[in-house]
Amino acid sequence: MRPPHSRPPRKAYYGDAHPFRGLGQLAAGRRPTPLMYPARAFLFLVWFALAGCSGIQSSLAPAGDGAHRIAGLFWWMTGGALLVWALMIWLTYSAFRGRASRQSPRLARLYIIGGGALFPTVVLAVLLIHGFRMMPPLLASAPEGSLRIAVSGEQWWWRVRYHPPSGPPVELANEIRLPVGEPVEFELGSPDVIHSFWIPSLGGKMDMIPGRRTRLTLRATRTGTFRGQCAEYCGTSHALMAFPVVVMEAADFARWLEGQRQPAANPAEPLLAEGRDLFLMNGCAACHAIRGTPARGRIGPDLTHVGSRLSLGAGILPNDPEAFVRWIAETSRVKPGVLMPHFGMLPAAELDAVAAYLESLQ
Amino acid sequence: MNRPNRKTRITSAVASRFTRPFVKWALLLVALAAGGFLVAASGIVSIKASSGHWPITKWFLRFGMHRSFATHSLGVTRPPLDDPHLVLKGATHYDFGCRSCHGSPGTRAPRIAQGMTPPAPDLRPLIAEWSPEALFTLVKHGVKFTGMPAWPSQQRDDEVWAMVAFLQELPALDAAAYQRLVQASPTENATITALEPSALTPPVASVVNRMCVNCHGHDGLGRGSSAFPKLAGQRREYLLNTLLAYADGSRHSGIMQPVAAGLSEEIARALADHYSRLPASVSQSGDPPPDPRLLELGREIAHEGVPERRIPACIECHGPIGRRTKPAYPLLTKQRTDYLVLQLELFQRGQRGGSAYAHLMEHVAPQLSPEQIRAVALYFESAPRTPRPAEP
Repeated sequence: MRPPHSRPPRKAYYGDAHPFRGLGQLAAGRRPTPLMYPARAFLFLVWFALAGCSGIQSSLAPAGDGAHRIAGLFWWMTGGALLVWALMIWLTYSAFRGRASRQSPRLARLYIIGGGALFPTVVLAVLLIHGFRMMPPLLASAPEGSLRIAVSGEQWWWRVRYHPPSGPPVELANEIRLPVGEPVEFELGSPDVIHSFWIPSLGGKMDMIPGRRTRLTLRATRTGTFRGQCAEYCGTSHALMAFPVVVMEAADFARWLEGQRQPAANPAEPLLAEGRDLFLMNGCAACHAIRGTPARGRIGPDLTHVGSRLSLGAGILPNDPEAFVRWIAETSRVKPGVLMPHFGMLPAAELDAVAAYLESLQ
Repeated sequence: MNRPNRKTRITSAVASRFTRPFVKWALLLVALAAGGFLVAASGIVSIKASSGHWPITKWFLRFGMHRSFATHSLGVTRPPLDDPHLVLKGATHYDFGCRSCHGSPGTRAPRIAQGMTPPAPDLRPLIAEWSPEALFTLVKHGVKFTGMPAWPSQQRDDEVWAMVAFLQELPALDAAAYQRLVQASPTENATITALEPSALTPPVASVVNRMCVNCHGHDGLGRGSSAFPKLAGQRREYLLNTLLAYADGSRHSGIMQPVAAGLSEEIARALADHYSRLPASVSQSGDPPPDPRLLELGREIAHEGVPERRIPACIECHGPIGRRTKPAYPLLTKQRTDYLVLQLELFQRGQRGGSAYAHLMEHVAPQLSPEQIRAVALYFESAPRTPRPAEP
């Protein structure tokens, strides 16, 4: 018979690259002990969870006033919760290990009334008051003369209309850009079902409710690229309803918005001109607008500068010609339930021409 | 000794008392089935159509057929059937698909079909025995073990009802009235002179005369009836795609599928070309002018769509829009209102099918209300067809 612990050491499977090599030694030295595997699992979970503390869509790596407040609240609450947890562990431990002679009815009453009623009341009251005090600044509207952005959540994309303090509004889609350091007022709505607008790195979330206007003010504190996501289940492709967020220096933003305000340039190359003609002839213009061309559809996203966006299909595909062809030809495979019919029946050369034209709309 | 105890003995006695008769019956059934199989295997039974049925068999089969269709038509509700266009549509298809077995007023019973068992009957004395609902079920599904086939498309109840509407009229028709229904009269032929007769090769001309003109008219304008769509001046590519879609069953119709399935692609191309060249002149329908409010609603839908219901503007694909639209998309101007309404309703029910482009309508049509459908169809029938750029 084999001895019970004759398995080869883990190192033989993973070599030096074994991600938890140190953990086994930490737990037990050479021979596995009963605690070794739970310890590994726990540390793995911590490592996994810590991955959420940074990145383009994390409320724990704040880049906006609202997100800073929310992250602060989160860390205070986490700290407090850890203290309460440690206290409970200690109480449980001492209840089992403490000597009976130390216990008395008076002590029991103290524990029950103090620990069971007073302590939670005080803690929850403090949290509640603190939470209430946080709400006015989170919900404050932007001062008069700020940039206003109307965002409409539609199954499953975002209609974005910039209302700068001066000049006419500009309608774009599926991407939001903001000047850093300036408060921006978002006017949120929906024509179909309830969506929720959330840019975790910049602030809290706000529902978009059909028939109602909700408001949210965000002020970004550093430049960078972030990600927003619909945060209320809104149908089949809810998970595929996202958008990139770019925070820019104020001057860059003004230049960018001016560029987006311009109509689309007339294509010079024959391939691009062919793409534009195919776009119009196949009826794409029935739903999509490209300013500067006869395309004036209002049902789907405005495509005037679609080539300049960071993603396609509301944050789900990279913006390159291959992805464009994929989106046009396999629309409902890329985004199940989408209203746009696929155009996979077009010859490949025509798809390429339309994709090249759209990509050229910078 | 190893004898079963008392309880076991009682149980087995009870069991055998109930199972023994079943075993007996089962054995009898097996023996009967084996005997039947031996009879079939020996081949002594005649299934020659020439031998006909015994009178009692004939009576029993007819009884069973009536009962079966009465029961299976219980859930069927009848639409109004007194529309002359519906009768006309049924009549022309009867002449194309049914006459060769069932005959027509003024002619003898077709000799070949008389050799079937049961022989295809002259329907005129029989119609009165059937309710329209049972007739609908019979025509839609056909009759097993007879020569009566099912309707070629199970998607198109509207066509089956057209046939039932015609069958209601059939007993009263004499030969002249029948011919008036099923043949495009030469007087409907007013504009055909515009087309040089040499344009069609003899095989194509023969197909046109046998299969197309009796519904779509010599001039491609549908004999002035809502029963048939106008083909004259329609886009060539759309007409060809449509014929091919009918031929492979991706567009559904019990009337057009049998016609299109019999065409070679070369002939289909020639037909599409022929009808696209016919002048799309306006043959006025005798209908009263439409309600101006509906017409305005239709104009708005056609030109602006209904953005809040995600309905795009029709003219972006179908014209008239002043720029070239896709040749695979049909022109709708001057098309019959009733035909357009029917197509939109079929799209709504997912029963139209069509070419590789037909799915473009699948999100649009269900959004339209019945009033919007009628309005937009009326608008297109009355809308001016702007001169369209020449096809390349």
